Amino acid sequence: MRPCHMADTQRHPFLQGLSKHRGAPPTVVVIFGASGDLTARKLIPAVYNLGHDNLLPADFHLVGYGRKAIPDAEFRTLAAAAIKEFSRRELDAAVWDRIAANTTYVAGGYDERAAFDRLAAHIAAIEQKTGREVQVLFYISTPPSVFAPILDNLGASGLAAKHLGRPHHAKVIIEKPFGRDLDSARQLNTTIRSVFEEHQVYRIDHYLGKETVQDLLVQRFANAIFEPLWNRNYIDSVQITVAEEVGVGSRGGYYEQSGCLRDMIQNHTMQLVALTAMEPPVSLDAEAIRDEKVKLLRAIQPLATGPGGDVARAQYAAGLSAGKAVKGYLEEEGIAADSGTETYAALRLSINNWRWQGVPFYLRSGKRMARRVSEIAVNFKRPPGTLFADGDRFNLAGNTLSFQIQPDEGLSLILNAKIPGLETRTQPVKMSFRYATTFGSNTPEAYERLVLDAMIGDGTLFIRGDEAETSWKLCTPILEAWAAAGREGMDSYPAGSWGPANADALLAKRHHVWRQP
Amino acid sequence: MAAIFDALPGIEVPVGAISKSLGKMWADTAARGGPAPATDDAKATQVNFVLHLGLLTTAEDAAEQFQTTVRFSRRYPSRVVVLCPLAEDNGETDIRAKIYGECHLGKTKGDTRCVEFVMLSYPKLARLHLEDQVSVCLSTDLPLYYWAHRFSASVKLADYRYLLSRAKRVLIDSAIAPPDAMTYPWPNPENLRDLVHARLLPVRQTIGQFLAGYAPALLVTGLQAVEVSAGPELAAEARVLAHLDADVAPAHLVRDRGGRAGAEEAVEHEVAGVRGDVEDALYKSLWLRCSKDHVATKNLGDLLLCLTVVPHLVV
Repeated sequence: MRPCHMADTQRHPFLQGLSKHRGAPPTVVVIFGASGDLTARKLIPAVYNLGHDNLLPADFHLVGYGRKAIPDAEFRTLAAAAIKEFSRRELDAAVWDRIAANTTYVAGGYDERAAFDRLAAHIAAIEQKTGREVQVLFYISTPPSVFAPILDNLGASGLAAKHLGRPHHAKVIIEKPFGRDLDSARQLNTTIRSVFEEHQVYRIDHYLGKETVQDLLVQRFANAIFEPLWNRNYIDSVQITVAEEVGVGSRGGYYEQSGCLRDMIQNHTMQLVALTAMEPPVSLDAEAIRDEKVKLLRAIQPLATGPGGDVARAQYAAGLSAGKAVKGYLEEEGIAADSGTETYAALRLSINNWRWQGVPFYLRSGKRMARRVSEIAVNFKRPPGTLFADGDRFNLAGNTLSFQIQPDEGLSLILNAKIPGLETRTQPVKMSFRYATTFGSNTPEAYERLVLDAMIGDGTLFIRGDEAETSWKLCTPILEAWAAAGREGMDSYPAGSWGPANADALLAKRHHVWRQP
Repeated sequence: MAAIFDALPGIEVPVGAISKSLGKMWADTAARGGPAPATDDAKATQVNFVLHLGLLTTAEDAAEQFQTTVRFSRRYPSRVVVLCPLAEDNGETDIRAKIYGECHLGKTKGDTRCVEFVMLSYPKLARLHLEDQVSVCLSTDLPLYYWAHRFSASVKLADYRYLLSRAKRVLIDSAIAPPDAMTYPWPNPENLRDLVHARLLPVRQTIGQFLAGYAPALLVTGLQAVEVSAGPELAAEARVLAHLDADVAPAHLVRDRGGRAGAEEAVEHEVAGVRGDVEDALYKSLWLRCSKDHVATKNLGDLLLCLTVVPHLVV
C-alpha cells in the first residue's frame, strides 16, 4: 500500500500560508502508561502547552489507557496536578478546561484483547461525536516488556490499520528502549512492522526535540563558515558528553537491567554523533536526513572491547553531589552487591569515511557526575606554524565550538584574541550564543515539538527502524563483552566527579583530555 | 567554625543551586533597576580566578585578599571562586556556598562590568571532592588562574591536581608560603609564579634600565660581587632579587622566559598590584637615590641591593 504521509501529501488549500505545525488534523492521542511518571512529567504538560499555543487541532481528544482503573474525572484531576507541577507555564484554567473537556480514560490490561476492543469502541464514539474521521496517535509510554502485547492488540483490534491509506491514518509513538540488544531490537521491529507500516511509526528520542540539537543542522548547513572546516583536515577531535547529576534513586531495579550504555549511549549519544558527523542531506525531508544518519552510523568501526580498547565502564562510588555526601551505586536501594551494571560508559569511535578518517569521536555518559550537562564539543586543530608560540605571552587555546544541549541551551566558540596593551599578548576568549538570552527562556520543550511533529506526520526528528538496529549493532558486542567479563574491568569514580581513570586513558593515547563543561 | 567563610560577603545558598541563585540575583538586581548582565552583555567573563585561602588565613586577611580579587576582576571580568577550608570540623562532610556579585559602572554603558563570586566552605573530609565542586562553578574553556594564599604545607596543595594542572598560572607568595614551596615538585612547575617576583617588577625594571646604560661586557667582566641585604620582612624579596641574574634558583621562578623584559607581565602583576605603576614616585626615588648616593638606605626594613662591578659603579 502506498504510504501516505506529510512529505508527499499536497497541503490543503486552506492550510496554505500557515506553518506546517498549525495544520494538525483532528486527533485522538492515546497514551499507554497513562498513570506513569513520563506521562505526568512530560506528556501531559506537552499537550497542555501545545493547547496554550493554540497548536492543537480543534477536534483534539486525549485518552489515557492503563491497567489501573481511574475514573475520567480523577484522571483529569491528576493531569491538572501534573501541569501545575511540571509545566513550563502556569496552569491557565481556560486553556486546560478546553483540553479537559475532551480528556477521558480507558482501563485495561495491555494483553487484554477485550480492553482494546473497548478502546476501539471509545475512539469510534469520539469519531461519531465529531462527525468525521480523526487520526489516532498511540503513544506507548510503558515498560518495554509490554510493547509487544500492546502492538499485537493494536493490530488485532484493527486500531493500527485505522484509516490506513487515507490522510488520517493511525500512527504510533514508541518510547525507548528500542530493544536491549541487536536481536531484541530486530524482534521489536518485526513486531512493529507486523501491525504498522514504517511510515506510521515514530520512535522517539527526546534529545532530537531539543533546540540545540536541531540547531546543529542549522549551524552546519545554513552557515558557510563551518562546513568547509567540518572534516579531518581541520578537526582534531569531537567530544560528546551526556552527564547526569542524579543517581539511580528509586529506579535501581530498572537500572540494573539497563545500564548506561543501553540507557544513554545507544540512543541519545549515538544520535548526536550521527547529526554531528553525517554528510549534508539532499533535502530537509525526513527520509533524506535519516538516510544520512544511517550511512554515518554504518561507517563507525567496530570497537575493541578488551583492555586498552575503545571502551570504558565504571560505577559511581560514594562522594559529594551538590556539596552533600551521597551513596555509591552498590549501596543504592535495589542494587545487587556484586552488580555488574555500569553507571558510566565512555567510547572512542573511529569513523571510516573520507570526512572523518583519523578523527576520534569521544562519547561519555554517566550518572552522579559533577553536573547535569549535555554538550557536543568540536575541537579544531591548531594553526600551522609558530608565529604565536604558546608560552607566557601567547596564552593560546585550541578553537573549540561547543553546542550546549542542556541546560542553558546555546553554543560557544573559543577564539584567541590580543589583550589590549603595548605588548602583543594573547588570551582565549569565548563568543557565546544562549537561547534564553536571545529568544527568552520559555521555549517549547522537546516533547511538545515531537508530539506535534508526530501529529502532523513529520518524522524528521524520530528514529527509523534501521537506525536503531545499526546503533545496536555497534553496541551489542560491547554489552556481550561486559556481560562475559562480569565485574572485571569495572572501574569506579567518586559521585560528583567527572568520571573514572579508565575513561581518561581512552583519550590519553592521543594526548587529549576530557572537558569539564 | 567558619571564620574565613563568614568574613566574606555574600548570600548563603545551597551548593546545588549556585547557578540558579546567581541568575536570580541578577534578575532581582535588574528588577530593581540595576544592571542586567544577561541582557546587557555586561557580564562578559574573561577568565576564571580561584582564590584558595589556606588554613593560616585569618578572617581579616581573607577579607583583604577578597578585595584584591575584586580589584582584579574590575580589570579582568572574572568568574571568581574563593575556597575557604574549615579550620575545625566535627566530621562534617558537606560543602557550604555563598554567592556575591558586583557591577562596576564605567564611563559608558558598554564599560559596565558585572562579576560573580562563589565562596565555598569545605571541611577536611570534602577535600578529595573539592575540585569537582569547583569545576562546575567555572566557565568552561576560559583560562584559569589559581592563587593559593597562606597554605600550611606544599604537599597538601599538590593534592589539587586538577586546579594545578588546568591553571595557566598558579600564584603563590614565597614570602608567606611554606619553606619548600619553591622547590616542591609541582605538577606543572612552568606555570608557577611567585608574587614576590611580581612585586619586584618595578625594582627589576629600574635596575635593568639603570644597568642597561653600561656595556654588558663591562658589567660581566668587572662583576665582583652581588650583595642583597634586607630585614626579615623583605627576606623573600631579597632572595628573589639576589637571583636576578643568576641561575641558582629554578629559572621559571626568577627570570623572564627568553630573557625579555616585561614578558611575564601578566596576572601575577595584577594581583600584586604593580601593573602600570613602574613610574611610581616611590620607585623613581629609589632609582634616584641609588644612582646619586650609591647607597639605597641604611634602614634594613628596606631592600638594599649592592652590585660591586667596577670601582666607579656601585648600585
